[in-house]
Amino acid sequence: MNAFAGRMEGRQGVTGSYLEIRDLVKSYDGYQQAVRGISLAIAKGEFVSFLGPSGSGKTTTLMMVAGFEQPTAGRIVLGGREIAPVPPHKRNIGMVFQNYALFPHMTAAENVGFPLRMRKRPAAEITRRSREALAMVGLADFAGRQPRELSGGQQQRVALARALVFEPDVLLLDEPLGALDKNLREHMQVEIKRIHRELGITTIYVTHDQTEAMTMSDRIAVFSQGVVEQFAAPLDVYLRPATRFVGGFVGDSNFFEASGRTGMLEVAGLGTLSLPQAPVSASGRYDVLVRPEAIGLWRGSGDRAGHCVVPFTVTALVNYGDSVLLIGSSGDLSLRARIPFMLATDIREGTALSLSWRHADMHCIPA
Amino acid sequence: MRIVIALALLSALFILGPLLIVVPMSFSTAKSFAFPPPDYWLGYYRAFFADIRWTQPVINSVLIALATMLLTMALVIPASFAMVRQRFLGRSAMNLLLMMPMIVPHIVMALGYYSYFGHLKIIHSPLGVVLAHTCLSVPVCYLIIAAALKGFDRNLERAAMNLGASPLRTFWEVTFPVLRPGFLVGGLFAFIHSFDEAVVAIFISGQAASTLPRKMFDSIRIEADPIVSVVSTLLFAAVLLAVLSPLLWRAISNTRRQVQSGTATA
Amino acid sequence: MTQGTGIMMQQRAGRRTTWLLLLPVLVFLAVFFLVPLGQVLYFSVMDPTFTLHHYLAFFTDDFYWRVLFGTFRTTAIVTAFSLLLSYPLSYAIVRLGGGFATAMLLIVAMSFWTSFLVRTFAWMVILGNNGPLRAILATMGWTPPPELLFTRFSSTLAMVHLLVPFMVLALYSVMKKIDYTLVRAAISLGATPFEAFRRVFLPLSAPGIVNGCTLVFIMCLGFYVTPVLLGSPREQMIAGLIGTQIEEFLEFGEASATAVILLCVTMTVFAIYNRFVGLDKLWG
Repeated sequence: MNAFAGRMEGRQGVTGSYLEIRDLVKSYDGYQQAVRGISLAIAKGEFVSFLGPSGSGKTTTLMMVAGFEQPTAGRIVLGGREIAPVPPHKRNIGMVFQNYALFPHMTAAENVGFPLRMRKRPAAEITRRSREALAMVGLADFAGRQPRELSGGQQQRVALARALVFEPDVLLLDEPLGALDKNLREHMQVEIKRIHRELGITTIYVTHDQTEAMTMSDRIAVFSQGVVEQFAAPLDVYLRPATRFVGGFVGDSNFFEASGRTGMLEVAGLGTLSLPQAPVSASGRYDVLVRPEAIGLWRGSGDRAGHCVVPFTVTALVNYGDSVLLIGSSGDLSLRARIPFMLATDIREGTALSLSWRHADMHCIPA
Repeated sequence: MRIVIALALLSALFILGPLLIVVPMSFSTAKSFAFPPPDYWLGYYRAFFADIRWTQPVINSVLIALATMLLTMALVIPASFAMVRQRFLGRSAMNLLLMMPMIVPHIVMALGYYSYFGHLKIIHSPLGVVLAHTCLSVPVCYLIIAAALKGFDRNLERAAMNLGASPLRTFWEVTFPVLRPGFLVGGLFAFIHSFDEAVVAIFISGQAASTLPRKMFDSIRIEADPIVSVVSTLLFAAVLLAVLSPLLWRAISNTRRQVQSGTATA
Repeated sequence: MTQGTGIMMQQRAGRRTTWLLLLPVLVFLAVFFLVPLGQVLYFSVMDPTFTLHHYLAFFTDDFYWRVLFGTFRTTAIVTAFSLLLSYPLSYAIVRLGGGFATAMLLIVAMSFWTSFLVRTFAWMVILGNNGPLRAILATMGWTPPPELLFTRFSSTLAMVHLLVPFMVLALYSVMKKIDYTLVRAAISLGATPFEAFRRVFLPLSAPGIVNGCTLVFIMCLGFYVTPVLLGSPREQMIAGLIGTQIEEFLEFGEASATAVILLCVTMTVFAIYNRFVGLDKLWG
């Protein structure tokens, strides 16, 4: 851990909500709302992802936290202080932009030194701290380069160093890895996580890539059409999606329509099943989710305790190398099942077989 | 394709040939525009630099073009910010107004200025020419600066503010330095537009504020003065230098890089 | 504060800044562009009270009709020849690229940036009585060689030369964006190279042709310097006529009426262009 990380360390340790967004609304024209009443409480030192398709309001929310957009209504509270009226340059929030937004007329070191210069730090301190920050992202030898002389990944690191050097209260990352190729992206994910661990800085990470959000975050806020559909730990979002949208957006999915009230559900195409239903749907209608990877081949015959067993005809196969996605139908239901490659070597289009999955892998979402 | 290339080369010859003819003409001893020249000397160059009737218009043109450039930039830069960054009622009308001076034939404006500036008592004065040229330069300058502004990434400004720069500081530390090349090109176009403008200058600059194009026009029309060929050669040389200098610059920096990498490997 | 008023206040503050930024240029153009232009309109119908006789004089006199018609004819010829010379050149630049393109673009740029007066003067030398072109014609057996200078031919030729760079740049800027794989696709689908050019490349380059022709047409229509210096005094173009009306006859009323007619013709061309293409695109 270098000197820079050491200084940041003393700042963490407070629990409870640190950055709180309450009933946030943004409307550009007074009629349509880009953000429709979002509330989130983020703990100090937490790594939170805003996940959602484009136009879901995640970037707009981020821009309001950074201060580039004024909320139409609602509050943003940082460390107990209302920041909505504070102009962006006085918020002390670091941000990494989608296209990095490095100043093209300054060197890497000058870019990193910029926030310190704006804070009127002495020249010697600016030099020392920008060098430390560049060292932290592994670019100590590139201080004198112009941004255009750096690769995409290096520019990304400079942007990160610049957003961290002034020890901001919160770090915002707006789809920072979107422009990088796959390998570099994975490398930078690890890098960002390492820095987050070292500095313990409260971080909001905006992305439309579910894998990125899954691997990096403490909690994920799933955005859709201006509202947060679910705000929970990655595994919860994956295994227990709160809405059908979340279930469909995060991971691959099979949905069945179901209805019933008393712990017994009538599931379309599958009969009556006893499934845990929490929360309970007021209308009595549910969407039942089964992940394709929870479905397996069943070579036996007859029923299987605690399992659903269905006949299945394959209409298409997608080979992923390690696994195979079977697409096909069981009666009126269309189903997707993902099975290990080694078990699927004899399966062709048109093959008829049996699939089964545990009742416990079925998740009920109130419709 | 061979026919196309042949046609292309013919066009290029047609474009280039006439430009080159002024060079030998300027060293000619002939008293009128005769080609090929009977003999060569530098006499007309000497005459040009010694003759205040020629040097004064050159000075006038440079000063007028400089003033036009500064005034045009002062008017156009703020307007471009509003036009590019804001959506407001009357924007398209404003856009039309900014482009209008380019659309109206210069002879029409020359006629307008002739009587209007006569009325304001600024005809035959450098001020009148500067004001007229500024009007005519606004559209070119606006097109260039607006294009530069459209290409400007506003995230740079957001980043600066996010890092603690006030809006004013953001402008001076980031927006202005990044856009400066675009502003300079816009200014350069305004300068050249004024320096080359003939029609309005012919009608309103008079003897006192005579610009170089006006002096050349009069000399060709009235006296067939061979010094015109000297001026033409100098102007052509200036253009040649300006057009070729980026190419030369690239060649020089390439060789330097080769030399450097050569020493590095050795 | 309700949502609506908050947005309105922000918008109002933004509008004030906007107009503050626009004010200088707005005032300047109003005082030094719109007023003199308005004066031309005013003088064209006042003598000293309201009258249309300047226009009547223009439209009832054969001489003026001939000037107007001659201007159109010259402009059309100049535009057509500019296009004919520029299209193969631009096409070769885009297709061949490399050193050839650089050299050709340099030549075009050199001509583009050289003052109209310098280039007009060059033609004066070439076409002059003691110039090279007449000498060549004489050695080819055309004796005595024809008078070239101060004819419709000389001014038309020079204007083509002056305006070709504009046409080339207009064509080039459109052609270089054309994806040439489209032409290859057409050939792979069975078109001959010429058919592929005619049915794919040519239509895709049409915006460049329209832009270039509009630009050249408009510039030629109001051309003053070259026709006055090189053209026949008996066959003036409309801009030259305005000059004569001011300088020699001090006929401001008639000059203004002629100017308004030239302005109307120019505006009509622009309006047609704007209707079908959009004025913003003209200067690329």
